[in-house]
Amino acid sequence: MNMQEKNESANNFEQCIKCTICTAYCPVVPVNPIFPGPKQAGPDGERLRLKSSYFFDDALKYCMNCKRCDVSCPSGVKISDIIQSARIKYGRHKPKLRDMMLASTDLVGTLARPFAPIVNSTISTKPVKAILDGVMAIDHRRMFPKYAGRSFESWFRKEAGPLQSSFRNQISYFHGCYVNYNYPQLGKDFVKVMNAIGFGVNLLDHEKCCGVAMISNGMMSSAKKHAVHNVKVLKKAADTTRKILATSSTCTLTIRDEYPNLLKVDNSDVRNDMEIVTKFIYPLVAEGKVKLVFKKGYKAKVAYHVPCHMERLGWGIFSAALLKMIPGIEFTMLDSNCCGIAGTYGFKKENYEASQAIGKPLFDQINGIDPDFVTSDCETCKWQIEMSTKYQVKHPISILAEALDLEATAKLNK
Amino acid sequence: MKGNEFDVIIIGGGITGAGTARDCSLRGLKVLLIERNDIATGATGRNHGLLHSGARYAVTDKDSASECIKENMILKKIARHCVDDTGGFFITLPEDDLGYQSKFVEACKAAGINAEVLDPKEAILEEPSVNPDIIGAVRVPDGSVDPFRLCLSNIVDAKAHGTKILLYSEVVGFIKEGDTVKGVKILDHATGLTSEYYAPVTVNAAGIWGHHIAELAGIRIGMYPAKGALLIFAHRVNGIVINRCRKPANADILVPGDTVCVIGTTSTHVPFEECDNMHVTPDEVDLLLSEGAKLAPVLSSTRILRAYAGVRPLVSADDDPTGRNISRGIVLLDHEKRDGVKGLVSITGGKLMTYRLMGEWATNLVCKKLGVDKKCVTAVTPLPGSETGGLEEVSKKFWTNPSTPQKATVGRLGDQASSVFLEDEYDQSLVCECEEVSAGEVNQAIANLEVHNLVDLRRRTRIGMGTCQGELCACRAACLLAKARNCAEEEKSDLCSFMNERWKGMYPIAWGETLRESAYTQWVYSGVFGMNENN
Amino acid sequence: MKYDTIIIGGGLSGLVCGISLAKRGSKCVIVSAGQNALNFSSGTFGLLSRLPDGRQITSPLEAIGELDENHPYRIIGEDKISEYAGMTAGFFEECGIKLHGNNDANGYVVTPTGDYKPAWLAMEDITIFPEKQEKIGEKVLVVNFKGYLDFNSAFVANAFEKSGSSCRMETVSLEATERLRRNPTEMRAVNIARVLDNESVLSEFAEAVKKLIKDEDVVVLPAVFGLNNAASLDILKNNIGVKTLFVGTMPPSIPGVRTQMLLKRAFEGAGGTFLMGDEVTGGEISGHRVLNVKTVNLGEVMLEADNFVLSSGNFFSKGLIASPEKVYEPVFDLDVDYLKDRSLWYDQDFFRKQDYMGFGVKVDSSLHALKGGDAIDNLYVTGSILAGTNQLYEGCGAGVAIFSAFYVADSISGKKEN
Repeated sequence: MNMQEKNESANNFEQCIKCTICTAYCPVVPVNPIFPGPKQAGPDGERLRLKSSYFFDDALKYCMNCKRCDVSCPSGVKISDIIQSARIKYGRHKPKLRDMMLASTDLVGTLARPFAPIVNSTISTKPVKAILDGVMAIDHRRMFPKYAGRSFESWFRKEAGPLQSSFRNQISYFHGCYVNYNYPQLGKDFVKVMNAIGFGVNLLDHEKCCGVAMISNGMMSSAKKHAVHNVKVLKKAADTTRKILATSSTCTLTIRDEYPNLLKVDNSDVRNDMEIVTKFIYPLVAEGKVKLVFKKGYKAKVAYHVPCHMERLGWGIFSAALLKMIPGIEFTMLDSNCCGIAGTYGFKKENYEASQAIGKPLFDQINGIDPDFVTSDCETCKWQIEMSTKYQVKHPISILAEALDLEATAKLNK
Repeated sequence: MKGNEFDVIIIGGGITGAGTARDCSLRGLKVLLIERNDIATGATGRNHGLLHSGARYAVTDKDSASECIKENMILKKIARHCVDDTGGFFITLPEDDLGYQSKFVEACKAAGINAEVLDPKEAILEEPSVNPDIIGAVRVPDGSVDPFRLCLSNIVDAKAHGTKILLYSEVVGFIKEGDTVKGVKILDHATGLTSEYYAPVTVNAAGIWGHHIAELAGIRIGMYPAKGALLIFAHRVNGIVINRCRKPANADILVPGDTVCVIGTTSTHVPFEECDNMHVTPDEVDLLLSEGAKLAPVLSSTRILRAYAGVRPLVSADDDPTGRNISRGIVLLDHEKRDGVKGLVSITGGKLMTYRLMGEWATNLVCKKLGVDKKCVTAVTPLPGSETGGLEEVSKKFWTNPSTPQKATVGRLGDQASSVFLEDEYDQSLVCECEEVSAGEVNQAIANLEVHNLVDLRRRTRIGMGTCQGELCACRAACLLAKARNCAEEEKSDLCSFMNERWKGMYPIAWGETLRESAYTQWVYSGVFGMNENN
Repeated sequence: MKYDTIIIGGGLSGLVCGISLAKRGSKCVIVSAGQNALNFSSGTFGLLSRLPDGRQITSPLEAIGELDENHPYRIIGEDKISEYAGMTAGFFEECGIKLHGNNDANGYVVTPTGDYKPAWLAMEDITIFPEKQEKIGEKVLVVNFKGYLDFNSAFVANAFEKSGSSCRMETVSLEATERLRRNPTEMRAVNIARVLDNESVLSEFAEAVKKLIKDEDVVVLPAVFGLNNAASLDILKNNIGVKTLFVGTMPPSIPGVRTQMLLKRAFEGAGGTFLMGDEVTGGEISGHRVLNVKTVNLGEVMLEADNFVLSSGNFFSKGLIASPEKVYEPVFDLDVDYLKDRSLWYDQDFFRKQDYMGFGVKVDSSLHALKGGDAIDNLYVTGSILAGTNQLYEGCGAGVAIFSAFYVADSISGKKEN
């Protein structure tokens, strides 16, 4: 019988054997009892939804899409994709103005950045926060990321861009909205490190926001437009530099996995070329293809938080391994926990309490360790941890930029 | 009338008996319904759950086809919480004769069935799971019907109209005076006691076991046991019923029913002795799969949940070895006229979805014999659960923002969901997570729906019918039953029987995910619970 | 990426092997495709409670000689097994897991269905009785959380009544657990345990239980306490005042989840790398040696090592896969011992021995995996994927997992020393 050799179903939902382990690892369940939990919202609910769309439960919106259920599942069920696909397919609520504003990171960034000082000070004043809270349902206790005065792209084109062609090796960089509008310093650190190890950095032919916030706020057609555009420019970049690196774990996961799985945008031409920077660098160092020289006397007590999406990518080991190579680093791997922000999720008034409760075990552990600073590969984790603890959060690549003797390193990697 | 005297005794708690009991009780008769097992244990619970439009019989059996379409339209009104109005396709594959299609459409029209020829491309768009190679497609008003729910609703209504229900009670003999049947002797399987019940008319509605019942009265009905094997897949692959547009043959209907879909059937003659213990053979599984994959290719890689088989109660007319050429029409036998035995009527043949008409015919004859002049109202009286409206309407009556489990409850019970205990949140907690059955629903069934054991509970509520096949919910339900009845010891052995009943449908198809699921269930029951043949 | 040893599978066996190796300075990585069977553990470990012919065993170490020659215990050897059995409790103690029990004779634990199950060692929640149906007290109070369906107090009470105690059942509901109740699906062991990890909620619970005690001398509770550490158990015992016992629940198992977490922490603490949620998809073999393996997440980055350990579990963990035609091992396509005729895989009685549970990967006398009849010199097999035993039937799953892991860790580090 040439049948039943394998089992196939959308996102493997039929492979669920009801062990309920995902529920044990869901960070939302213990803090928000309205959320039905990953198993119920995912494979269980799916069988009913196939019967009639009426069985769709609006409470699926409380899923943060942190993907911890996927990581814990012994059966290979893509639980988070089942939940997000159901939201896309059956969700009946149109996104609110607030959601659209939170989701349009690049649009709002473009508008806000030139007025950065005004926006930053206005957005943090009490009356404005009260309006955001009351009218927009953005929680007033939430601190907003600040907008930078000059975008990363504009800095790069003027300052760094012209120098890049002198390097023997070339890579492309997907910087993402956060680096561009809020924190260009991370992009600058990236360029420094890449240049030091002998790689010239190229920007894409106009990247757009990866669309993760649009996906989670139900703006699917916009997200899809972005995805189609990005795949096109990524392909163009891959054709010249092959590798496209990113500093954001969420942008990376979105482009690699959410594009094909949720948005049904074919990215097979570029998926394997898109990586987070530490996954690219560490094997080169380990194989001796790249040599690093560290500053003498660099010392830091660092606690590493693996962002949920990094956990899902399975690449936390690369950042950890790279950091552990730095002499003078006292490294602690934080327990695998979600910080609770999940992109725009924690910004919403209805999620604020849950968001902080989810993050509490992580904050407690950080406070217990009392590091010099925390490190993480995700910008929203950075906001959340900085807001909820007294510790600064640095990207692993920024730590590398600090710890490396850049000139000496550059010499060895010419 | 004494407590053991009735106007009519009905033998058989399948859909025919239930429908007849309902009709009789609605016409004011005092009814006793006897079933040696649980309701819906025979062919009623072991078929496709197809709400025929009649199209399948249009070419070969026009009378059956006309009966079907009429009943189809009636059930969509009176039993809407049991019916899913999916629509159906009759598809022509490249290996089939497309010429049959026009003959088929003509025959449908003649029988009053709306048959619309579709462009195959349009059919594929509407039902993406269908074989993309089809060369023809016809739309007909097929649907699916939940046999357990339908049978239960009839029982509930019959009971509400005064019918006495005796389950796990077997007819062991007739009480006869001369050539007249005066009553029946019953063995109660729970207590082991026998008792006698009297009525001027007894209706034999025992399906294939009606052959044996008739023999007890010294009558021979030429019944023909035809085994039909079916496979349940773990989720709905198709939204629309898919049939082959050809002369009825093996495994040519794929029906989406509730959360699953069902492919069937085979048709093989079996001896009467085997009717009580049907097993599906590996050959039958292979045949169902390979034929099923022609209707919807994805079935070749879709998880199979169970294999099961039923026995059709056909009345033979000739020596056809497959039983396919025997009429699926209704057979009503007045044994007074046919065999000279007074006070006994047999109603058999027919189909799940013509049960109401079978009940009407049988009740008409009973009334005639009793001299009662009352019209049948079952065609216009909604069953309990279907009185007020559809799923959405009913849900909104109870909850402003119903959760999925609450919707699932309404999906199963219709407006009878109001009978489920909803007092507090304890009632909302889920016993069966796959089918989303709440503790309140289980407790309601235990209290009101003649539940003797976990398998009965499954037929009432769908616990254990999901992909895990009872691995977690059986134990939870056993505990609720143990608490309600204060019978922990009995419930432990009941739990074992339940798991074995589930296993029976699983081992013939236990590979891939089903084997994994079984291995996990083994681990839980043997490894964690320490339950094995030694205790 | 280069390691000394790569372990495929992060269950009991993989973790024990990894900890043993990492402690001896070996650079180890464990690749684990999701969570494992420890999460559904009964809270007990079995060494051997039944022989393949069905005879019950009370002194497991004495019965090993009666097993078949290809049973993993016989391959490892009787002496080694005794030695390892003696080491086990100490090994777990070092990982922060207290086990109690007896190597010389099986004890019994009460299960969630009120049955008595033989056990070798138990996690500290679970009480081991030397005899079946031992009377635990005159009057027993069985307390459950109101509406928690995964602890069958009626069954549990029934078991104690059969052994001569009189039982009363009560339920407790706390505001903090009631919050969970708002969700119909999440009144489950782990969620209750998470709430009860809060000390004030825990003492509130202890107070509530205390109030329910009339004249009972024993209190029985579901084992849903101490998700992160077992300290909650002692706090409860002290606060309740009378003898307090815990009985396991339906899965997930709190003692099991805690044990898994502590083992993983011990492994990482010893310098090991744990890749959760990644899956080994294949490996390159050349001249009787595995060169490297590939994973889903790492893509083109290969994992290389001197030695490889396959601890990928049985069917449940997809260490073995059954198609209608055959049973195979999906990573290396190793030789699998199984019955060709599918109808022989099963017994029609669910509660009898199921032969498919005894299928496994064939190994040589050093637990090297066999492929095409030849041993692969640097690929070892441990745990429930091993052929030669129906571990569930024989009650030897934990023993095989732990002892084969010790044995392989010894072989690998011995090889290095030589």
